[in-house]
Amino acid sequence: MRQAETTRTVNLLKEVDVAVIGAGPAGLAAALACAEAGVSTLLIDANDAPGGQLVKQTHKFFGSERQHAGTRGIQIPSLFTEKLANYPNVEIMWNTNASGFYDSGELVLEDEKRFMKILPKRMIVAAGASERFLIFRNNDLPGVYGAGAVQTLMNVYGVVPGDRVMMIGSGNIGLIVSYQLIQAGVDVAAVVEAAPCIGGYLVHAAKLRRAGVPILTSHTVLAAHGQESVTGATIAEVDKEWQPMPGTEREVECDVICLAVGLMPLVDVLWHAGCEMKYVPELGGHVPVRDENMRTSNPKVYAAGDSGGVEEASSAMVTGEIAGISAAKSLGHQAPGADARLAQLKADLAAIRSGPTGEKISAGVRCATVCGGVWE
Amino acid sequence: MNRKSADIVVIGGGVVGCATAFELARLGCKNVVLVERNTIASGSTGRCGAGVRQQFGTELNCVLAREAVRIFEHMDEYLDYEPGVEFRQSGYLMLAYSDQQWEQFQRNVELERSLDIDVKMLTPEGAREIVPFLDLEGMVGATFCQTDGHANPFHTAFAYAQAAKRLGAEILTHTSVMDIEVENNKIQAVVTDKGRIATSAVVNCAGAYSAKIAKMAGIDLPVWGERHQILITEPVEAMMGPMVISFHHDFYCQQTPHGSFIMGIGMPGEPKSFNIRSSVDFLEGMANTVMKILPPLGNLRVVRQWAGLYDMSPDAQPILGECPPIEGFYNANGFSGHGFMVSPIVGQAMAELIILGKSSVDISKLDAGRFERGELVFEPAVVG
Repeated sequence: MRQAETTRTVNLLKEVDVAVIGAGPAGLAAALACAEAGVSTLLIDANDAPGGQLVKQTHKFFGSERQHAGTRGIQIPSLFTEKLANYPNVEIMWNTNASGFYDSGELVLEDEKRFMKILPKRMIVAAGASERFLIFRNNDLPGVYGAGAVQTLMNVYGVVPGDRVMMIGSGNIGLIVSYQLIQAGVDVAAVVEAAPCIGGYLVHAAKLRRAGVPILTSHTVLAAHGQESVTGATIAEVDKEWQPMPGTEREVECDVICLAVGLMPLVDVLWHAGCEMKYVPELGGHVPVRDENMRTSNPKVYAAGDSGGVEEASSAMVTGEIAGISAAKSLGHQAPGADARLAQLKADLAAIRSGPTGEKISAGVRCATVCGGVWE
Repeated sequence: MNRKSADIVVIGGGVVGCATAFELARLGCKNVVLVERNTIASGSTGRCGAGVRQQFGTELNCVLAREAVRIFEHMDEYLDYEPGVEFRQSGYLMLAYSDQQWEQFQRNVELERSLDIDVKMLTPEGAREIVPFLDLEGMVGATFCQTDGHANPFHTAFAYAQAAKRLGAEILTHTSVMDIEVENNKIQAVVTDKGRIATSAVVNCAGAYSAKIAKMAGIDLPVWGERHQILITEPVEAMMGPMVISFHHDFYCQQTPHGSFIMGIGMPGEPKSFNIRSSVDFLEGMANTVMKILPPLGNLRVVRQWAGLYDMSPDAQPILGECPPIEGFYNANGFSGHGFMVSPIVGQAMAELIILGKSSVDISKLDAGRFERGELVFEPAVVG
């Protein structure tokens, strides 16, 4: 337990134009847009460095140059922070949790030492997402990891999670992390996928197949084995109703079971703020109903990045910038050319979400967008 | 909805409604329907502080609480509930901060002892033997009852609901009562958004919303909602046994079996409302008070705060019994913040009253008519 002496209550009721919660791709883009518009901006993050999930994304981005295509994810945060450093109207608080937003308009922040109250005129929630878990026997044994945790362990800290990994889930995260494990010298026993086909891009799956990794579609994990930590797992084939088929069980030897079974938007602060929420499976769970400018039903509150629906970093940077420009504009501030930029961003977003892989996201976004695209 | 009629309709799926439905079924009533607009324990029950105490200032509350504890002690077997309701008798430590309050406590203890409730009177130092890190500043004395304690409100409500179902009661969740049909002062039917249920008896267990239900039957019931807030900390090793209560600070705090500290404090000037939003004033007020009285708790992180409604009555006592002139309309509401702890005995008493015409614990003084008669019974011991 921490020492009592270090826990002090300090109440600052500080006013700020825009508070941005989360300094991942969406929050960084939002804060920079606010900075450029000239509004006082407070950027808050629970970690001690910027980037959110970018800190472990060692792969090069696809898409448009405006969203840093060709740049590795890990290089992107510093591009933003270098620019943000030029703006005296931006303050950044690291190691700080945004723990509550109240009807009184107060945003409560806390770190190891302080409890602070902020009175923001606008709030942009760019809190990201959390990993989904899977229910199976012994799923609390050491050695059962989320894919995000494995990626952080390897790509940020340079530590491998074990010797032989069984990956559950063949979305892009499952496929990319599997390949990164192989690059790190870790054996990947198999990629197990409950659906009849893979979820991620073929290009990532093809790399794994070339490396000899079996991709077992229509399979699921039934149990982890081991006393102190994982020593193996039982998997089985599933039928069309996703039910395990008796007689198809088999044992897989592994010391890590890595779960890459999707993400859920982190929306707690949006619930606190009384935003109208909607359950949209295509976007990963409950998301705020929003207009085209990422404003929620609460006129003071905007959502950006995965907090508005799970996508990926490129679209997070776009929705973040849209939210930033729009929040500043609602306070009567905008940078030269902001309207043209806003139109460009909306076009970029449509392009990112186009094509067969974007269909699901687009359907989800349509479902989560307020009728007519603008609030009454 | 398939059902067209019922012998009795219980309105409200909180712990009082569930206990009442179970006890009615246990006394042989085979056609009981419980109607809940949301899910079981989704209202005040699931939001309560989870304490069970017998230290009260009126004979009736003491007796009700004592009988409830006797049921809690064997509840898992009584309701055949395998997960268990987590009843734990780790006591209630009640702190007095003025001579006047201490005198009241002494009167309470005299009353409690006369009713076979074992309560100790302690000096501030004696209180510290029970909670070693208790701050004693300004404290005059304390009372302690070991057989008071804690139970899990969700499990308790689920246990009653499941047991009621096994005895043939039907539980309709996600079903809202829209109207109550009355003819010649007799209940005819309960109209829900899923259909009409013909019945001659209704038990109003709708908590803070009881006045709205009563109004449907043409009754003015003096029950209103009042927001009360709670916070819970991260779990830590067991370090505090009893619930600690101070009427002076209007606060209570207990460590749950899971290790979290759960606590509430009354906020002055709370209006009549159905508001269950959380406030930052509560978070700060609660933290400042608990850090003063139980200093080590300042090291803990708050993981969650929430609000719920007390179903307040004019004398902070429950309203139990039939409600003339409407024949077949029964109230079990107005618990004013201590409904969960008495729910087992209230369910029994209500069922006995409805089926047998008389309850083994005399609850006649708690009828709704007392307000017109001017026979209010003020409970001096209400907190949080």
